[in-house]
Amino acid sequence: MDNLVLKRIIKTLTITVLAGGGIYVLSFLLRSGGIPENEVVIYSAIGSKIDSLDPGNIGDTSSSSVASQIFECLYDYHYLKRPYQVIPQLAEGLPSVSEDGKVYTIRIKQGIYFTDDPCFEGQRRELTAADFIYSWKRLANIKYLSRNWWVFDGKIDGLDDFREYTKSCKSMDEVDYSRPVQGLQALDKYTLQITLTKPWPQILYLLAHLPTAPVAKEAIDYYGKSIINHPIGTGPFVLDKWNRGSYIEMVRNKCFHDEFYPSEGQPEDLENGYLADAGKKLPFADRLFFMLIQEDPPMWFLFLQGKLDASGIPKDNFQQAIQEGQTLSRELAEKGITLKTFRNPSTYWIGFNMEDPLLGSNKPLRQAIACCIDKKRYIDLFTNNRAEVADGFIPPLMKSYDPDIKEKGFGFDIERGKKLVEQAKQLNQGSLPVLTLAMPSTDVVARQYGQFYKKSFKEIGLELEVDYMDWPTYLGKMHQKDFQMFQSGWVADYPDAENFLQLFYGKNVSPGPNNFNYVDPEFDKLYERASAMLDTPERTQLYRQAEAMIIEECPAVFLLHGVAFTLHHSWVENYKPNTFQYGLSKFRRIDVEKRKAYRYK
Amino acid sequence: MLSYIIRRLLYTIPIVFGVMLVTFLLFNVVRGDITDQIAGKAASAETRAEIQEAYGLDKPLFFDFKQSPFTKAFWNSQFVNHLFSAATFDFGSSYKDRELIWDKIKRGAGPSLALTVPMLIGTVVISISLSLVVAYFRGRWMDYILVLISIVGMSLPFLSFILFGQYFLAFKWGLFPVYFWPDLSVWQYTALPILIGIAAGIGGNLRFYRTVMLDELRNDYVRTAYAKGLSSRQVLFKHVLKNAMIPIITQVVLAIPFLFLGSLLLERFFGIPGLGYLMIDAIGSRDYKIINAMVYISAILFVVFNLITDICYAWVDPRVKFD
Amino acid sequence: MTDSIQTTKNLQKPIKGRSLWIDAIGRLRKRKLAMICFGIILFYVFIACYVQVAEWTGSSWPTNWDESTGQKYESPNAQNIFGTDIFGYSILRKVLYGTKISLQVAFFASILSILIGVPMGAAAGYFGGFIDDVIVWIYSTLSSIPYILLILAFALVLKDKTPFGFKLAGATTVYLAIGLTSWVGICRLIRGEILKRKESEYVLAARAMGCSGGRIIFKHLLPNTFHIVIITFSLRFMSFIHAEVILSFLGLGEKDKPSWGAMIDSARLDLPKGYWWEMTAATLAILIISLALNIFGDALRDCLDPKLRTD
Repeated sequence: MDNLVLKRIIKTLTITVLAGGGIYVLSFLLRSGGIPENEVVIYSAIGSKIDSLDPGNIGDTSSSSVASQIFECLYDYHYLKRPYQVIPQLAEGLPSVSEDGKVYTIRIKQGIYFTDDPCFEGQRRELTAADFIYSWKRLANIKYLSRNWWVFDGKIDGLDDFREYTKSCKSMDEVDYSRPVQGLQALDKYTLQITLTKPWPQILYLLAHLPTAPVAKEAIDYYGKSIINHPIGTGPFVLDKWNRGSYIEMVRNKCFHDEFYPSEGQPEDLENGYLADAGKKLPFADRLFFMLIQEDPPMWFLFLQGKLDASGIPKDNFQQAIQEGQTLSRELAEKGITLKTFRNPSTYWIGFNMEDPLLGSNKPLRQAIACCIDKKRYIDLFTNNRAEVADGFIPPLMKSYDPDIKEKGFGFDIERGKKLVEQAKQLNQGSLPVLTLAMPSTDVVARQYGQFYKKSFKEIGLELEVDYMDWPTYLGKMHQKDFQMFQSGWVADYPDAENFLQLFYGKNVSPGPNNFNYVDPEFDKLYERASAMLDTPERTQLYRQAEAMIIEECPAVFLLHGVAFTLHHSWVENYKPNTFQYGLSKFRRIDVEKRKAYRYK
Repeated sequence: MLSYIIRRLLYTIPIVFGVMLVTFLLFNVVRGDITDQIAGKAASAETRAEIQEAYGLDKPLFFDFKQSPFTKAFWNSQFVNHLFSAATFDFGSSYKDRELIWDKIKRGAGPSLALTVPMLIGTVVISISLSLVVAYFRGRWMDYILVLISIVGMSLPFLSFILFGQYFLAFKWGLFPVYFWPDLSVWQYTALPILIGIAAGIGGNLRFYRTVMLDELRNDYVRTAYAKGLSSRQVLFKHVLKNAMIPIITQVVLAIPFLFLGSLLLERFFGIPGLGYLMIDAIGSRDYKIINAMVYISAILFVVFNLITDICYAWVDPRVKFD
Repeated sequence: MTDSIQTTKNLQKPIKGRSLWIDAIGRLRKRKLAMICFGIILFYVFIACYVQVAEWTGSSWPTNWDESTGQKYESPNAQNIFGTDIFGYSILRKVLYGTKISLQVAFFASILSILIGVPMGAAAGYFGGFIDDVIVWIYSTLSSIPYILLILAFALVLKDKTPFGFKLAGATTVYLAIGLTSWVGICRLIRGEILKRKESEYVLAARAMGCSGGRIIFKHLLPNTFHIVIITFSLRFMSFIHAEVILSFLGLGEKDKPSWGAMIDSARLDLPKGYWWEMTAATLAILIISLALNIFGDALRDCLDPKLRTD
């Protein structure tokens, strides 16, 4: 009799389990197969949430790499050629520059259309010079609160006045965009003329930078605030579905203009198979999926299962989640996975606040710290030997990289460090207090860096306290100059060392990008001269001279130059990493059969 | 009855006000300056000023004594704005991506519920069944084993459950999908997280229901029932389970508002775009507006469900009085 | 009931007032499993104290967890029985050191919530009226906010703040956040218990003798509700340890030193690479003490106050 109770309970349980299992099995039959069989699909992962697909407000690499499939700029970088070379994208050719280097005239390609959208009321909408002027005025509009105003800040004649004018408007919609700006003129439908306030050769690179991509005024007006959900560009793909917080799906843009796979490249590109598709029409894929995967374990599992085609876009951080030891690498190679490393135009450092009463006036102390860090070990621990030791700030990828930099920099030298600490103590008339380092993250990796630094400082008899904080707090501290040392780095926006030099420019002190608060009139003079010059050997010389100055004054300990790496499966073709170009999906080709075979194995 | 309902309703007003006050103190007073976060790097002073104005951060917190007239400053303070926005459920848009917070919440509720509702049902059904088994076998080895298992389940950190579960069940043995994928149905990609959630939740629940059952078994009517010659089965199902229904239902009903929150960790590790995931992201990016909205809405839901259960009790049992 | 008879006697002979405890300990001793668990808890506390003392006296082991004892990622072997982490640090030492941090967090959180919850509950229950209304209002408000969200919100806003010149960071934030949010349960229990007892004979007698309210609460009522505090915290201690893990995952926990939460958080990156030992060691450490606390707490409740509902 009593066994019946047990039986009944077991029965209930079994029914529950069976029902659950039944639903589970049934769901396989009900799978929502929305993707047509014959379409070529690329699956990639993105490691952080997409903030925006509106080029005017994009500030992070994840968003850029997604939005770049939809939007195009006047210029772009050559996919295969190295060193990186700017080529026309929406422009017909390189700009013609006036004698004084201040007036740029750019012809725009004819017959380029924005993708069809209800906001154009059924008309085909051609791209004109006026679209660029509108888009750039929009960046200047202070009510729009763009994150990207720095691109044009103080550079274009009359645009700052326009920004001043928008302050008097009550809201974003009230701003009158027909108000003329002296420096932005459309000479005719397809000719754009830019007048600069002073010579600025780097503008070419910024015209290849996503925030300067053209948007259509009709779209902005039509969608209003929800423009963030309706990116309308001229690029190879259009947004199909944006499942915020989950994934982004794109399909081939039917209105895409003719663009072809490059037929020239580096000599080794031919044997690496990068030129097999030369001259073919782009893009190769029909559909793109960008999966948001923020935790590393699932991302790695999905990649190994062959669901993701590549291990994702390298993060801002040079520390990649997937740093495999030798053993696993062999395992990966057997699976046909390829590892590609490429130099990043980046330098990472520990910076000193030159306004700090102790550090700012104590050069031996700064130099001592520069001596105490074993950069090789650092690289071994945190990047699995996939980075290069930095002695100065110009990365090896740049043309102006100094091959003799090693002799100028501070190497790892404990003895020298100890001597310098003695000098520093004398200078400080007594002992040295505990130093603090601001760390812009609170995660595991940051904690590991912190432990490493602490130990290094201890070697030369210094005491270090690491202050871990989240990004907003860190930014706040930088703005208020409320810190002693900080860990930071810079990834160049364009392949010109000027982008690094400006970090030490006296006028750029916090809240500008010069977080070192380093002010040196001599350096400033040098910078001002060099930054207005075209690329000549003389300029390279000046760059190197400025770098040597910084190394000697030591406002920062340069640690390493990043080397990014990415893993991809054997069925992904034309996978050449490119650190400045973001809209790369159009070049990729997928061998669908190979992928199928892998997944079912 | 009606007066009871009215009094009970009035009683919720100070609670709701309290929640508004707590969220204000936490997210407007203690949190500090957030302008830099909205502005991004290399923002000029004028952009920052513009942001302060646009988000109302330049207004006084409660009132500004220097500003006159006094009342006007009060009506224009951040606190009053906070009360209004909370009362009208207008939470504005996120600092980070400028999307309306309501849109985010509406979108996230579905996936969260798809995860948590089966989790709750599964946990409750299984743990009640097991608690009956335990009650039946009380004091014997079966009881001890189940109790031990439940305590082990409670004692393991949730994060370990997820990490080990995903590694072994999904990746190593391939029993489940590792992560959300567009061509999977909702049943498939939520299967493993639901299972992990049930496994992790069953320990605590089983222990709770076991206590409830054992408490019931101590009652006199149980002895009477046995004395009448009823079998264990009849006693357990006819009397004990029926009487234990009240604490069980209370427990379940009060768990409902939390369903809406989703699961912080499960959603992130399995790519379920629900509200727990939203919450984790908001914590990571210090998006206080989202955290504020989530805390407030879940508190309101809790208050409402509390109200409903209380009224139901009063309706079912006339002896319940409001004190 | 027999309770009140006993307690009236207690008034005359205060020494015998411990009989509840002596009685309970006698019963506890008969439960072997509970005693084993108690031993385990003591062992953990001993480790934590040992680490703390070692830190004060400058002794090296195991406070030297940040010294490499081998290559990076050594699997468990004779020299490093739990293996090593990315720096070649011994995981055994990290676990031992983490014991101190994690127990410290749970301990201070408990103390804090007792210090807030018990007096508030007692005041609300004893004085009633407006004081009761206010305290009930505060705790009903706090308890209508989901517990985990409340802890997160507190930890988030308290982090890196410097009130009164004291910097909140790492473990301090964690136990402040937990302590400031988890007093609600104990407050409610104490209030209920005091309400029940304030009309009992011994309180009436004390009041008749002219004792002040504070004296009655602290001398007579609270000692009689103390077992509730003990039971609650032997059971809640575990949830504090688990809360620390989640806070660490969200980057709100201890950063400089290894705690169990920090270890699990960092092992999250190692697990997919096949380095399972740090994860396992920290999980085991948590599992064993949680098990012990649970079983011991249950036994304690059964012996002291079987009717108490702590869930």
